[in-house]
Amino acid sequence: MKTRRTRGTTVTAYLFLTPALLGLFFITIFPMIGVIAISLTNWTGLEPPVFTGLGNFREIFTTDFYFAKSVAATLYFALGAVISGIIYAFTVALLLNRKIPGRGFWRSVFFIPYIVPSIGSCIVWSWMYESNFGVFNYFLHLVGINKIQWLQSGTFAVPSLIVMTVWGMGSMIVIFLAGLQNVPRTYLEAVEIDGGNTWHKFRHITIPMMTPVIFYNFLMSMITNLQVFVPAYALTKGEPSGRSLFMVFLIYREGFMQNNFGHASALSLIFFIFIAALTAVIFATSKKWMFYEGE
Amino acid sequence: MTRSNKGMNILVALIVAVIGLAVLFPFFWMVRSSFMSNIEIHKYPPLILPTTWRLDNYPYTLSVFPSLRYMVNSLTITIPSILGVLLTSTLAAYAFARLDFPLKRLWFTLIIGSMLMPGAVTIIPIFVAWSAVGLSNGYVPLIVPAFLGGFAVNIFLCRQFLMTIPRDLDEAAIIDGASHVRVLFQILAPLIRPVLIAIGLFTFILYWNDILGPLIYISRNEQNTISQALANFRSGFGTDWKSIMAASCMAITPPVLLYFVGQKYFIEGIVLSGLKA
Repeated sequence: MKTRRTRGTTVTAYLFLTPALLGLFFITIFPMIGVIAISLTNWTGLEPPVFTGLGNFREIFTTDFYFAKSVAATLYFALGAVISGIIYAFTVALLLNRKIPGRGFWRSVFFIPYIVPSIGSCIVWSWMYESNFGVFNYFLHLVGINKIQWLQSGTFAVPSLIVMTVWGMGSMIVIFLAGLQNVPRTYLEAVEIDGGNTWHKFRHITIPMMTPVIFYNFLMSMITNLQVFVPAYALTKGEPSGRSLFMVFLIYREGFMQNNFGHASALSLIFFIFIAALTAVIFATSKKWMFYEGE
Repeated sequence: MTRSNKGMNILVALIVAVIGLAVLFPFFWMVRSSFMSNIEIHKYPPLILPTTWRLDNYPYTLSVFPSLRYMVNSLTITIPSILGVLLTSTLAAYAFARLDFPLKRLWFTLIIGSMLMPGAVTIIPIFVAWSAVGLSNGYVPLIVPAFLGGFAVNIFLCRQFLMTIPRDLDEAAIIDGASHVRVLFQILAPLIRPVLIAIGLFTFILYWNDILGPLIYISRNEQNTISQALANFRSGFGTDWKSIMAASCMAITPPVLLYFVGQKYFIEGIVLSGLKA
């Protein structure tokens, strides 16, 4: 039975929804319109804005030295972090899915980095990455490898940030583990009865049954990591030569350190379209590899 | 269990322990460095433990980095925000889960769609709007969004949970003349308590750890949040690593403690958001 639609319930519903609808308009829809409007001006916040049409976009795509670097850096970081993160989290979840002693304890341990402020992680990791006194270079030294300038070298800076980020993805392990526990035992037993081994179970039951969870983790984690900001702000400042010049850091720098509202809004809009397009691609391709029960 | 299975489990337990210890290592390193002198921190090869545990690093750090004030600042933003999130997201969730009204599908789709909208895209117009009303320097812009629906993901979570509760209960109450407000807060809210606690905890973490928001809206040092202050402290006191490490330890303690207390809810919350979607 459904609560009948009456004038009374409509009024109540809209009263209940008022904060959320205000949020929808004032935090999402109007600001989106605002980004578009400001992106068409040369506004710096000081003088009244002057309409410059698509000037900011022309500038970004032709003369902006940083833009292409920023897109490349962001995509490299996000894809690197998400793919490594999924491999790490899925592997650990598979290990934890066995009846091993201390399973609950370890699950908690893997989760902790997720709730630590990212500035805290950045600080301790940057000290471990430090090239002269850092513990990572000491480990390398023990196996006879020369010191690496982890955060200063073009080759290693972003991968170093990726490792640090993956460390913080404990929530994914928890989601994968819950997903694994939902894989029906009867399916796995059926493979056993047919003479299949662990690999067969994994390949033909576990992986297909887990595709929706993998998809969810991939999508959510992409959206989060494309917006990476703190490591660039706190550790690398976009260096070396733009390799960690992530989009949100660039937008922040243009908008709030240099007060180029117009330019920064154009960047934001491009960033939005970039993420939206990527999300659309992820959704479109997911139909090819995602398995739905009952299909 | 067969013998090979048992052997396998021991091997797996060992691998898990090795990875787990590696995951804990940065915490150990942070704590151990916070009790060293700067000379010891800069020893190479690195010392595993301090030769003497310098407890006075902490009082010293507090004298150059007033953690407690920054934490109070963080709480000033975090506590009202948690209330706002819990109040407005449950109200919206109730409307979507229990009431029938015109344009329901449209609003629901738009609100859920806004979940995919990256928050960083709109920081400039929102900042411009707060400047226009003269509130761009302070806590208001950080707290108000929590009262405007409490983020789409929380509305969705609450709604999913409310849908699992049989309607008989609240319909009986409505027939007896109870208002929707009473049904929501007296009958349903206690039943979805685990979700509400999880949402509260995650909101705490979100605000405690946020840096971008405070960077935009809080300029005066004495108003800084703890995470923001820590970031500034690191760039300002770049060489005094013992104090930076002690400050970091203090800054991460509240979320970590909260995690130990509310672990069950954190894990449930993550599982729910992952599997209900």
